This record gives sequence, structure tokens and C-alpha cells, in this order.
Amino acid sequence: MSTAPARVDARAKVTGALRYGADRAPESVAYAAFAVATIARGRITGVDTEAALNLPGVRLVITRFDPDELTSPGFIMTGGYGFQSLQPLLDDRIAYRGQPIALVVADTPLAATEAAELITAAYEPEPAAFTLDAPGAETLVQAQAIPIPMFADTAVGDADAAFAAAPVQVDVEVSGPNQHQVPMELIGGVVEWHGDTLVVHEGTQNSGAVQNGLARQLGISPDRVQVISPSVGGGFGQKNSLQPHIGPLAIAARRLGRPVKLVLTRPQTFHQASFRPASRQRVRLGADSSGRLVAAIHEIDQQTSRHDLFPAMYTEVSSRFYGIGAFRGLQRLVRTDVQTPGYMRAPFEHIAAYAMESAVDEIAYATGRDPVELRLANDTAVDPVSGLPFSSRHVAECLRRGAERFGWAERSPRPRSMRGPDGTLIGWGVAIGAYPGSAAAAIARMSAHDTGTVEVAVAGHEMGQGIRTAIARLVADDLGIEIAAVKVGVGDTRSAPQHLTAGSWGTATALPAVHAALRDRLGVPRTGPVDMRAAVAATGGSRIEIEATSVARGQPADVVVDRLRKGLLAIAGPEYPEFVTFSHIAHFVEVRIEAATGRVRVPRVVSVADCGRVASPVTAASQVRGGVIWGIGATLREQSLVDPRYGGFLNPTMEEYPIPVSADVHRIDVDFIDEPDLLLNPVGVKGLGEVCMVGVSAAIGNALFHATGARFRRLPVRIEDVLPHL
Amino acid sequence: MRSFTYTAPTSVADAVAAIASAGPQARFFAGGTTLFDLMKLGVERPSALVDVSRLGELEVIDTSGDDHLVFGASARMADVAADPVVLRDYPVLAESLWRAASQQLRNMATVAGNLLQRTRCPYFRDELYPCNKRRPGSGCAARDGIDRGSAVLGTGDACSAAFAGDWPVALLALDAVVDVVGPRGERTVTLADLHVEPGDTPDREHSLAPDELIVRIRVPVTPAGRGSTYLKIRDRESYAFALASAAVAVTLTGGGVVEECRIALGGVATRPWRAYAAERAVTGRPLSAETARAAGEAALAGARPGNLNAFKIELGERTVAEALRIAVERAGR
Ligand SMILES: Cc1cc2nc3c(=O)[nH]c(=O)nc-3n(C[C@H](O)[C@H](O)[C@H](O)COP(=O)(O)OP(=O)(O)OC[C@H]3O[C@@H](n4cnc5c(N)ncnc54)[C@H](O)[C@@H]3O)c2cc1C
Repeated sequence: MSTAPARVDARAKVTGALRYGADRAPESVAYAAFAVATIARGRITGVDTEAALNLPGVRLVITRFDPDELTSPGFIMTGGYGFQSLQPLLDDRIAYRGQPIALVVADTPLAATEAAELITAAYEPEPAAFTLDAPGAETLVQAQAIPIPMFADTAVGDADAAFAAAPVQVDVEVSGPNQHQVPMELIGGVVEWHGDTLVVHEGTQNSGAVQNGLARQLGISPDRVQVISPSVGGGFGQKNSLQPHIGPLAIAARRLGRPVKLVLTRPQTFHQASFRPASRQRVRLGADSSGRLVAAIHEIDQQTSRHDLFPAMYTEVSSRFYGIGAFRGLQRLVRTDVQTPGYMRAPFEHIAAYAMESAVDEIAYATGRDPVELRLANDTAVDPVSGLPFSSRHVAECLRRGAERFGWAERSPRPRSMRGPDGTLIGWGVAIGAYPGSAAAAIARMSAHDTGTVEVAVAGHEMGQGIRTAIARLVADDLGIEIAAVKVGVGDTRSAPQHLTAGSWGTATALPAVHAALRDRLGVPRTGPVDMRAAVAATGGSRIEIEATSVARGQPADVVVDRLRKGLLAIAGPEYPEFVTFSHIAHFVEVRIEAATGRVRVPRVVSVADCGRVASPVTAASQVRGGVIWGIGATLREQSLVDPRYGGFLNPTMEEYPIPVSADVHRIDVDFIDEPDLLLNPVGVKGLGEVCMVGVSAAIGNALFHATGARFRRLPVRIEDVLPHL
Repeated sequence: MRSFTYTAPTSVADAVAAIASAGPQARFFAGGTTLFDLMKLGVERPSALVDVSRLGELEVIDTSGDDHLVFGASARMADVAADPVVLRDYPVLAESLWRAASQQLRNMATVAGNLLQRTRCPYFRDELYPCNKRRPGSGCAARDGIDRGSAVLGTGDACSAAFAGDWPVALLALDAVVDVVGPRGERTVTLADLHVEPGDTPDREHSLAPDELIVRIRVPVTPAGRGSTYLKIRDRESYAFALASAAVAVTLTGGGVVEECRIALGGVATRPWRAYAAERAVTGRPLSAETARAAGEAALAGARPGNLNAFKIELGERTVAEALRIAVERAGR
């Protein structure tokens, strides 16, 4: 067994040696900046670039590209590559505040920034809508607007009849705000031409989409685009597709004959990249008098942009929380004047769980049952939607183990019944979370050397989640070699086709491919250590190179591998031909509300996760802590403020957008079931990075109810919401 | 950000001469943590910066005197917060500093620059919006907008932006003064006279002339420092401005009666706000939950809420009451 370091890149991270996309500084690089729209909807009637052009050091100002130069990359959710279909600088339409209206390139970042500020525009503004209820916001029924089975509403049995007949009913409506990912690494990259080949260094979770999307936008072959995403300084869904700045940079770089670098400002990342859409979630739950759940109806309004329909997928997960025989979902999309929203960590599951698990808590109170016991009583081994078994489901064990570690038995159930000596209101809450277990096709390349070194190149992006460590560790463990002998290459379109790394499926996808390639080519037994030097020598050379392709269960190999090579989504799950896969978690939360001032603190969280095999214990535990912290932020802190008169976001900086700080974070105990799910893939891993955030909000909300006797329907819950309940 | 000239004078006299000759768009510049931010946002566009952060004579911290604690204008927030006398005898000062900003910012930022920091009203910080403070006469976007952070005390028709700082609130409670040098000589301004309410000229936030340099802050030595606290309530536990804060300092008689009481508020007013009526409500009485609450109510009497900030009234009352409890407990030790 290898003596695994906590992270293979730990030293480089701590010393600052790790390189990010925009760290690249090639010789004679020029710097770009955007001037942006100050209206949210309408037409540009003129852009004044004269002052900018007169500024010393300014090389280029572009306000419009020709259609034969640059086209839309297409929307990632409809067979394209971009976070949205709209490519700025192609026409005179303004679709959201902060949309670029000119690109400036200069010799220094200072000159580029100053020139961008000097650019002014005249507009013909039109009325715009920014919130779900604004006049002019257009509501569509998703199943009609996007008639694709994947986006259909989940329905099982006659939920309305079952609900109407249920002796115990709860009706819960919650609303979730706009939120932004706010990764430390800003969006930005360096674009350069090496002859006819375009080379892009950019922090992205999807270098394959950047490669193929740029090729489409510029009308060149994907073979002539290389994308390198050395390390991503946090993405959380915001960097999962082609950003609209790269195409313009490529053209500017060609015109100038120089590499061009652009890093968006922090406020620009709030306005030029995806974010969590606002949503409203209504859940009606029916139960019998013992608390057995018999019906659930889940209706959603989710914000999207005017130009794209970002599909809502809330009911896919809410229908699977428990063994409820009758379920009806209804997902509506509300068009507003924003850039297209998208996936932000636990995109649908986080807020769906807030609605569902708050409602379940209300059923527990309505039927006088303990919230843990009630959840155990409604657990299921069979997927209520498809009737297929779950490939693995350890919700009950998560709940039992979590309750034990938390000391749940000491809880006094009545709201407001637990207090500290100084009058502090104490609340204990529980909730579960679930997240679809996806898998995708992958191509792995590997070279094994007679020195004992193994190089692995595979689809995947290092976003700080520790994918290099996880892969290195699994390869090392499998082969019985030192972890230091494994070199992992990810995020580079030159070494292997790169699929989107998100939704937790990065690890689950990459590892089976690595394993398959290895075992097949070396002809070694299915398990057990490999003497790498001998095995390579036995092939008669000093080094062997192999490539292997794997697809997820039930995926048509030829189709998905082609999609993979084209940088398109090639994902399967959570429903597979013979089973259904979800990751699960149970969270137990203590809140304390200072009686004097209403300040809410979360001193203690216990989270027990069912993510299949734990690929890398240290990074896995840190994933869960990060997810829990994000859950605390999403519940008690974070909101991107929208002024309905202006649009855009009012607090687009790190000091104003209140992500939690270290002082907000207290004890978080993490435990894992660590049972491999060998149906899903040969390594037995399910996803972890997303599920760990799901249910945190609901557990906090349920704890707040236990502390105060009040239900909080609007996230985030802030001090003014709590003050009336002290 | 626009180009500007930069000078780093080596004496106070040179600094004053430099600012006078550089014209009305020139600014003193110390840690730059307010000024650079606002320059990047385009809110401040100085033609010249006169760097006073490296004038050794302005970096003095002297807490040994019998009459005053002396803090040079360019002393760093972090250094003052860590001064042993400040830590031991004036928790209200220490807490107001280390509960502000972040350690990195406090390592850069100076105690004089802190006095002249500007509001965090989001509409002030983006040129897109009308703002009477940034562009006099353009209107106020906060009034019918997201005014959750706005003040409820000292508000005006033109502007209700909250004063953002913490340290000036603590200084006000302790009756501090600032010594100022300008082309017309030296003068002393009390903290109470330094900041002004918005009235019809919200762009004018303090009573100093643009060419006047703060050289030091002096805090009268007082036994009330030991019985003091700075309680700050905000949207997260660190690295956020106050929704409501209270600087409280008290002395007690042997019998536990409040002898002397000083209360100032932050986060809820357009300037650092001294709450004399609240002080009177507790002076001469032992502190009980009732007197503490009465003091809180007196402190916020006359508050005028906007759309989203009415909660600041109750929060302010509670903050004053809780700060009184902590201060009295410390005074009794
Ligand atoms: C993210 C962030 C969070 C913050 N959080 C807090 C907080 O929670 N609480 C809080 O109180 N503050 C907070 N601050 C504000 C910070 O404390 C101030 O920016 C800082 O104290 C200003 O000091 P400085 O030396 O950097 O001033 P500078 O930015 O250099 O100058 C500020 C102003 O003072 C003037 N000036 C400076 N020195 C003198 C002098 N000697 N004489 C006359 N004029 C002078 C300048 O001309 C300028 O107008 C925060 C700031 C940031 C950026």
C-alpha cells in the first residue's frame, strides 16, 4: 500500500507554486478589458470609442465582430458549448446589464482598464424584468417549452387524489435567492496563436467544450485548438462551459499578432457568467396519522434568461427522497433580463431539499413523531419513480450513525424548550440530502515505464477537489506502487479528450477508464499488486502506451464516444437499465441564537455521507466540510441583491457578498459509510462533492424552528427575520 | 482607474505644502484601503496623491501619558489594536479595531485614514446610480431601493447613508480629539465636531479642509476605559461592516451604581452617534435588564426607518443594552 500524502499538490498550493490559467505571461502579451452596458435591455445606438483609442498604449478597440468572424457557440444545454447562447459584440441588442459593449486591448492592464472606462454608449432602453413576479417576466411550463424526456416533470400515481385524501397535510412554499459562486480565481485566461493553432490557458471545468466551442465560433477545426486548464481556483459550476470572452480574445490575438490576456473584474464575474437562478418551491406532503408519507406535490418556478431556457431538474431528486407512492412535479421557467443562469453547486438539490425536508419536518411535528424516526420509517430500497432498485442506498445508516454521533437522543422535541444558561435559544435539526449518481464516457491514456513510473492522462479537471490526488491514490493502490510514481495529467485537451468535470461525476468517470486500460493492457489479474518494472519489461520495451475507452452502463458506446470527442455532454444516470443511483447524506445541526441580539450561530454539525467508496479520505472529508460551510452560507448569509429598477446585482464584490468567513465555521464532524457501489463502476465510487451540500439548509431551518417555533420560508434567513422570534 | 501623480514628502510641513500646491483634486493617501478601492470604482479621481504613510513622526503610538493616549495619524490599525495598554485598559478601542475589516487590511490601514473612510452604501460605490453624495443633486437611489444598510438616525432627505466605521465610534464615546495641521496653522478638532450629518450637502462628510492633515488622535485617559466594550452586530462574524454597534464605557460606585456612562452608536447613524439621552437613562442607577433596555430605547428614540432597515431600531436597542451589560460586568471586575 502506498503511503499517501494528503494531497499530491499540497506543497505547490501552499508555496504558491501552483499555476493557474491566467498566471501565464508569454512574451509580448497584450491585455484586454471590457466596457459594459449600463442598461439591462434595449439597443445600443452608438458607442463612443474615441477617448479610449487616443489613450497611449491602446492597440485595439472592437465594438462589433463580423458574422463570418465569430458566431454563437450555442447553449451548453441545447447541444452547444457556451454558458449561454448569446455571444456579445455580434449585434446591437442588450440583453442584460453588464453585457460587454466593447473589447479594448492595450500594452498594460492599466491602459486597458482606463480605456474601457472611457468608452460611453447611447442606448434605446426597453422595460426589463429581473424577478419572478416582475411585470414582463414570462412564465413557461417547462415540459411544453422543452419537450425532451430528460426535462419532463416526474409523475408517479395520482398525487393530487392521494394528497386530498391524506389525513395529515402540509403545504410549504419557500423561495431561494440569486446566488453567485464567487470562486477565488476570477474568470480569465491567456489566448495565443502558435502558427495556425490556437492555444488557450484558462481555468475551466470543461476544456473539451472550450476547445470545440471555439472551433465552432471561429470556424476552424478542433484539432487546431488546444485548451489547457492547469488548475481551477474554484469553479462550482460557474466555469463549466465556454465563456464568451475567449472567442473575441482569439480574434484580437490574431489581429495583433500577440498573445492576449484578460481577467474579468470581480463585479464582471457577477454579470458575465452563470449564477444560481432565483426560484420558488411549493411542496405539499400528505401522510397518514402515523407519519407514513403517501403523496408529494412539488411545484417550482425557476428563473431563466430571455435568450435561453436553463432547464429545471428539481423533481428528479425530490421524488426520490423517500418511498412515496404518489408524486407529481411541475417545473416552470420564468424568463427575465439576465445573463443565462446555470449550475451552482448542488444546483437543484440544495433548494429542493430545503423545501422537501422542511415539509417532512412539519409532518414529523404534525404527527408527533421524532424527525429521525419518521425519516427511517419512510426510507426505501426501491426507487419509487422507476420501480428499479437503488444500486446502493444507505440513508438509514447515515441517519442512525449521525444521530448517535450527534447525541440526538438527548433532544427535547418541543420548540423553544432547549436553552443555554444565558437564555440562548438552542435548536437541533436534521435533514437528508440526495444527489444523482452520474457517469460519463471517458478515454484514458496511460504510459507505463520500466522505471516503475506510470503516467495517466484522463478526462477531469483539478478544481481544488483533489482529483489528482484521488486518481494517483487509486492507481497507486491498485498497482501496489508508490503514489509518487504516478503522474496524473488532467484538464489538457492535448493529452486526452476532456469532458465536463462537475456534478461529482469527474472521479466516477475517470477511474474506471484508468482501471480498464491498465488491467487489459498489462494482462495482469483483475486484482492484486503489479510489479510495474517487470510487467513493462515483459512487453519487450522500456515503455508502453495504451488508450482505453469506457462508457457508463447502458450508454451506446459509439454515440457517446463521438460526443465526448466533440466536447459535448456524454452523461448517463441516475437511471440506468437495471438500477438507479444516488449519493446520500444525513446532516445533524445545532443552532444557537443569542437571546440578547438574535445572532445565529452554528456551533456543531455532524454529516454522514453515503458516496460509495471513499477515494481519498482527506480530500473527501474536506469536500464535505466545504459543502457544509457552503450550506451555512446559502442558508444564513448569501444573496445576490437585485434592485428591480436597475437589474444586475448590487453587491458584486467579496466584501459585500457575504460568503461565510472562518469565524462563522465551527465544529463539523464528518463520517462516511464507505461501502463501494460496484454496480455503478468497478471502483465503487459515487459522487460526493455535490451531495455534501444538499440538506444542510433544511437541517439548519429545522433547527431554527426547534429553537424559535418559527418556520423561515425565505432564504437567506437574516437577523431581521429572527429578531421577532426571540 | 485614472493616471495620477504621486509624491512622498518626508515631513509634515512638506506634506502640507505638497497638497496645497497640487490643487483641489489632490488627496492625502495613507494605507490606501479606502482610497484605492474608490479610485478603482471611479468614485474618487484624484489628480495627485500625497503619501503620508511613511512619515515616521506620524506613526507614533504613546500610551504612557497621564492625560492622553496619543496615536499618530499613520499608526496602523493592527498596531494600535495590539498595544498592551489599549488591550488592557481600553477594550472599547481594541475591539473597535480588531472587529473591523480583516487582519490584512488592518496591517495596511491607518487610524487617521479610518476616520475619513466613506460610506458603504452600494449606490455610492457604483457610478451607474444617482447618488447625492457622489454626484450632488443627482438624487438618491437608496431611498426607494435596497436601503437595508442605511441609517435610521441623523438621516436627511438627500441622503441616509450609514457611516461605516467602528473606531471613530469608540473614539467618540471617549471624547477623543484630533490635531490637524494645514497651511493656516495647527488646530484641534473634537471627534464630536469632526463628522457632520448629511443635511443638504451629503458630499461633505467632515469639517476638515482638503488641505488639512490629521497628525494625531488624542484620547483623554479615563478609568471608564476598563469598563468598556465595542459590540458589533453584522451579517457574518468577521469581515463585515456593522448593522448596529455600540461603544459603551462605564465606571461604577462601590455599590454597583453607574457613575459615569458613555454610549456611542455605529451602523445605525449617518455619522458616529453619541447617545446622551441613553447615558442619562443609566447614570446614577444600578444596571438592570430594564434600565439597559430603557437606555437602548432612549438611544434609538427619534429613529426614522426607510424601506428595509426598520429592524435596525430594535437591533440597535438590543445592542446598546447588551453592550451596557458587558461594560458593567467588566467595570465590576
Ligand atoms: C473590505 C474592507 C472591509 C472593511 N471593513 C471595515 C470595518 O468593518 N470597519 C471599519 O471601521 N472599517 C473597515 N474598512 C475600512 C478601513 O478600515 C479603512 O479603509 C481604513 O481604515 C482607511 O485607512 P487608510 O490608511 O487605508 O486610508 P486611505 O485609504 O489611505 O485614506 C482614506 C481617506 O483618508 C484621507 N487621509 C488619510 N490619512 C489622512 C491624514 N493623515 N489626514 C487627512 N486625511 C487623511 C485620505 O485622503 C482618504 O480620503 C474596511 C475596508 C475594506 C476595504
